[in-house]
Amino acid sequence: MTLILKPAETFRGDYTYRNSDEAILRFPFPFPENIYMYAVNVEPHVRGGPTAAYDAVFDIDEHYVGDMADRAITLAEDPLRCQVLPHMAEAEWDTLELLMESLSSDYPEHFTLTKNGDEWHWVNRPLGIDEHFTFGRRETLPYGPFEYITRQVQGDFSIQDQRDGTLYMDGGMVTSQADWSLNFDIGMNFHEWHGPVPLAHEAGVFDRALQYLLRLQHGKPVRRLNWTLTANPRLDTSPENYPMWGAEKAEISPENVGHRMCLRVEVQTLTRLPRSNAILFGIRGYLIRLEELARVKKWALRMHRVIRDLHPLIIEYKGMPRYRQFIIDYLASFDDGTVLNSGTAPEQDSL
Amino acid sequence: MTIKSRPIYAPFKLDVTGRVHLVVTNLAEAPVEVEEAVGDVLVWTVKTVAPGVPAPAARNLRPFRSVAELLPQLAVRLAQATVGLRIYAVGSEAFIWDAYNVAMGAGLDGAEVFTHHAGPFVRRVYCTHCRTMIEDVAVTIIPCPVCGAHLFVRDHFSRRLAAFMGVIVDAEVPGEIPAAEALIS
Repeated sequence: MTLILKPAETFRGDYTYRNSDEAILRFPFPFPENIYMYAVNVEPHVRGGPTAAYDAVFDIDEHYVGDMADRAITLAEDPLRCQVLPHMAEAEWDTLELLMESLSSDYPEHFTLTKNGDEWHWVNRPLGIDEHFTFGRRETLPYGPFEYITRQVQGDFSIQDQRDGTLYMDGGMVTSQADWSLNFDIGMNFHEWHGPVPLAHEAGVFDRALQYLLRLQHGKPVRRLNWTLTANPRLDTSPENYPMWGAEKAEISPENVGHRMCLRVEVQTLTRLPRSNAILFGIRGYLIRLEELARVKKWALRMHRVIRDLHPLIIEYKGMPRYRQFIIDYLASFDDGTVLNSGTAPEQDSL
Repeated sequence: MTIKSRPIYAPFKLDVTGRVHLVVTNLAEAPVEVEEAVGDVLVWTVKTVAPGVPAPAARNLRPFRSVAELLPQLAVRLAQATVGLRIYAVGSEAFIWDAYNVAMGAGLDGAEVFTHHAGPFVRRVYCTHCRTMIEDVAVTIIPCPVCGAHLFVRDHFSRRLAAFMGVIVDAEVPGEIPAAEALIS
């Protein structure tokens, strides 16, 4: 099926972002059970899953053009949202190659990559880019290779160097993060940058996850889901700009919660890079307004039960106390007590 | 609750594989365990005897007038470093990681540089919004002296910035500022 891209929507100001019926049905809903708790929850990143969001290696969706325009705005205001430490040059080219090959293979109507030795030709039709460059020569691109390609792929990315028995976050493109700062965390090791997360350290989640990732093999990427709630479909929920968007959280009311409050899901992918042996960590975010999500009956009921019964420390960490009750009340109106199947698939073909 | 990103500091101990040992501290006197260290140890301190006048140097002892004077000279010294030099940064948490980063910038290996905390556990705080560094913070909430944001000090430490993360506490409802509490060490 050909992917139809919408004209650029906005993710700030007037927030014109909306999901079509197709986009709602392909949303990567994160709750397979009625109770949520941190877990390693890593699985092979193979094509196909509960919704169409899992069909491509790096998923492009209808929001692509506006998503990339919003990233460009954020980078113009704060170039430090993209940083790569100097020893990661090889991983930058690994990333560029992986993303260009994936996009041109999965979406040939939108992206084309032609190689003639090290002379490459990249065409990105939705963004109007037609670039001839030499692979391995950064002066032949308008940005460093990592920044160049991640300005053209939805989702945040970090590149992680493996040494001393751990992973170091030694580069990233981070413009749509859930309250963490690349400029603060760059250079940290795996346990350091996860330091602020509650509960999971004590449960050994990070120790086990790290051991798993250190053994990640080339050609066998893995994925996991993460989620949070966002007031308005805002991509730049950075700590840097929290003074500018924090007030929008306080504006959530019982009357507007269905329209403004969004579930934000990250499909996180981890891919071993071939030359550098670094890991590319993709954090592909999806936003859905609660009123959109509630059009899928199973998701409305499941989300109601998860939020209602959430652990107090997770409520605090995810910044929910101010509006959690509004969400519960809104979703309760859909919950007729039906017993739900395990799993995240919508279990309906149309809305 | 421990702070996952804060390093754990071992007591001072000479690395016997080194040939030349340089202790740098932001304190006026090196801690007693440094004084007692066996071997030929160079000690750089921060101590003045009159405004603008450093304390007199002695054999193996070199006082500076400020950390701002000491650290660039450390960089110069390390540019001439020979194999076998060991650096021991002793003092406030912000200072020891500043010194560590100077050493890394000079091309030393992590195994050639040791950090030892001495003195009170006050924090340097990085204002995430305007990027200002605020020194010697001992409470959980402080106003940023530059942008004015009231910052909550997260238990999250960056060695690269040698600082803890400060994030505005009343962005959602301006003026809704909880009472500050003393930071746990």
